Amino acid sequence: MAGSVPAPVPPGREPRRKSRVKRAADPSEDQTDELGRRAVELSRFYGGKIETVPKVPVRSLADFALWYTPGVAEVSRAIHGDRDLSFELTGRWNTIAIVTDGSRVLGLGDMGPEGALPVMEGKALLFRWLGGVDAVPLPIQVGSPDEFIATVERLAPAFGAINLEDIASPKCFGILEQLQKRLPIPVWHDDQLGTAAATIAGLLNALELTHRSVKEVRTVLLGAGAANIATARLLFALGQDPHKLTLVDSRGILDAERSDVDELSVRNPWKYRLALKTNGGGRTGGLNEALQGADVLLAASTPDPNTISADQVRSMARDPIVFALANPVPEIWPHVAREAGAAVVATGRSDFPNQVNNSLVFPAVFRGVLDARARSIPDEIVLAAARELARHAADRGLSHDHLLPTMEETEVFPHVAAAVADAAVRQGIARRKHSHDEFLERAVAQMSRPGRLVRAIQAARLLPPLPSPPARPRRRGR
Amino acid sequence: MTPAHGAGDAGSAEATAVPIHLRPARASDLPVLVPLLLRLKRLNEEFDPLLKVREDAEEQAKEVLTASLKDPKSILLAAEGVGPDKDKVVGLVHAVLRERPFYTPEIEGVIVDIYLLPLYRRRGVGEYLLKEISAQLKAKGAGVVIAEFPAQNEIASRFYAKRGFRAITGRHARPL
Repeated sequence: MAGSVPAPVPPGREPRRKSRVKRAADPSEDQTDELGRRAVELSRFYGGKIETVPKVPVRSLADFALWYTPGVAEVSRAIHGDRDLSFELTGRWNTIAIVTDGSRVLGLGDMGPEGALPVMEGKALLFRWLGGVDAVPLPIQVGSPDEFIATVERLAPAFGAINLEDIASPKCFGILEQLQKRLPIPVWHDDQLGTAAATIAGLLNALELTHRSVKEVRTVLLGAGAANIATARLLFALGQDPHKLTLVDSRGILDAERSDVDELSVRNPWKYRLALKTNGGGRTGGLNEALQGADVLLAASTPDPNTISADQVRSMARDPIVFALANPVPEIWPHVAREAGAAVVATGRSDFPNQVNNSLVFPAVFRGVLDARARSIPDEIVLAAARELARHAADRGLSHDHLLPTMEETEVFPHVAAAVADAAVRQGIARRKHSHDEFLERAVAQMSRPGRLVRAIQAARLLPPLPSPPARPRRRGR
Repeated sequence: MTPAHGAGDAGSAEATAVPIHLRPARASDLPVLVPLLLRLKRLNEEFDPLLKVREDAEEQAKEVLTASLKDPKSILLAAEGVGPDKDKVVGLVHAVLRERPFYTPEIEGVIVDIYLLPLYRRRGVGEYLLKEISAQLKAKGAGVVIAEFPAQNEIASRFYAKRGFRAITGRHARPL
């Protein structure tokens, strides 16, 4: 979790931002400390979170003549003749790597590969639990983006897809771009695409609710990290006019003539391209100037409830849409934004309505691309996931506090997976083409299996039950 | 494509018409040219710590450009926008003539600074700037045109290489 998200703990920890958290502002801080202590205890007790379990019957050692040598030699020969058979004859069809260099772990910063391992284990658990995906945590020790790319390239033959995680911006953009270009399997960076897709899903419904079209709105993105850079790209794909989009970062409005654009051209070409393309009319200044008359604000910046003021929301167009996605503390408290006239408010937290959570997206996206054995994961697929999520919330009736499915609405996930698989077929990148219903059926089966499996293991007492927490004297005050 | 030293364009290259035109710089351009030159020097800073920009760089820029305006061995051009940006100075080209006592051709024309605001970096602009300055240097007697830029600026390297430039001497440095 990216800090102090109040119980019940949502399975996602996105979107997470800078670690500079306004301490006293968050009532759930004590609880976070408590959760942290408990997590260390339990990590020690269980010795990590996942293990490998056979998925074939083993009656005696004699069976290894099939599962291993000599029988397996024929399987090896078959795959040697046709590499794609590795998706049929091994677990590759359902196995992904969660790769990180540990350079931007949660809101903590550079924790190194070992420091990232417990987080990647947790992510693997989520992948399994929510998506039925076999995920291997794989923090790697690398010195440069090129080394990162080369390493993942060498690992790719073992996996059906790659999930990149917790890599610092801006190097995450180049790494994702290169790997997507080079690998014959989908490569996803959750901090960019997962968060962006969830944001877009919520936004589509917010636009619907306020009778707007993405083609007409004036949009402000606050924060220029991994998520918002990806969100901008997806918005353009949906028809957002780049001239009507303004990006604001810690130095104010990003503009083609800002004094640091040349530096950006060298250090962050992705942001540089946005500087050239966006902010038509050349507004200058900060968030105040950017928000005047804007329809939409998508903030993914600093976890501080004073980042966006009520007056700034008041200066926006009628019925403005405000997404304050910093975790654990949004850039403006939802009630403050609502009182200032926001028609819809979304945050990254589960204790407010409209949680924009990447966990709504990544398990289903991976389920979908794995079931279609997709070769890549173009933005059309990301948008298909976002649209499907949006549609399910809309089916239940949209309101200012119901933009998105919640994490509890698990029945939605297989539908998103099937929509993703369909999109892969439409895009011509699926190795396996099934009907929508077949994909859906498969997703339901795969996604419900981990729950049944874990319950069976628990019933058989193969997992020690959670030890009760040691009694601690209650601290008074702070 | 990109105008030489002044940052390659990682962005789009949609327009084909050259969105600028060059004219000789005037003293009245200095308030605009100085910040443009500083932008170039700050860009250079990105490539090497030995190109760290001085605190007094602004005064220095004023002096250097003022001197160039008066120096018959210097060429200082202002790039203006066209259409709605007419009369807006959006870049500069700065070159000097140097004697070559030991080699022929005897005079070299050295492009020391080229900078354009990013929005004006389009396909063909770099080409246009290079053609213009080369012609003017030639008219002043230069038999060879030389571009100076930070060794790590790969975009500039590629730009010149594509246009027939090659490294003839190198300047290698280490701090003392």
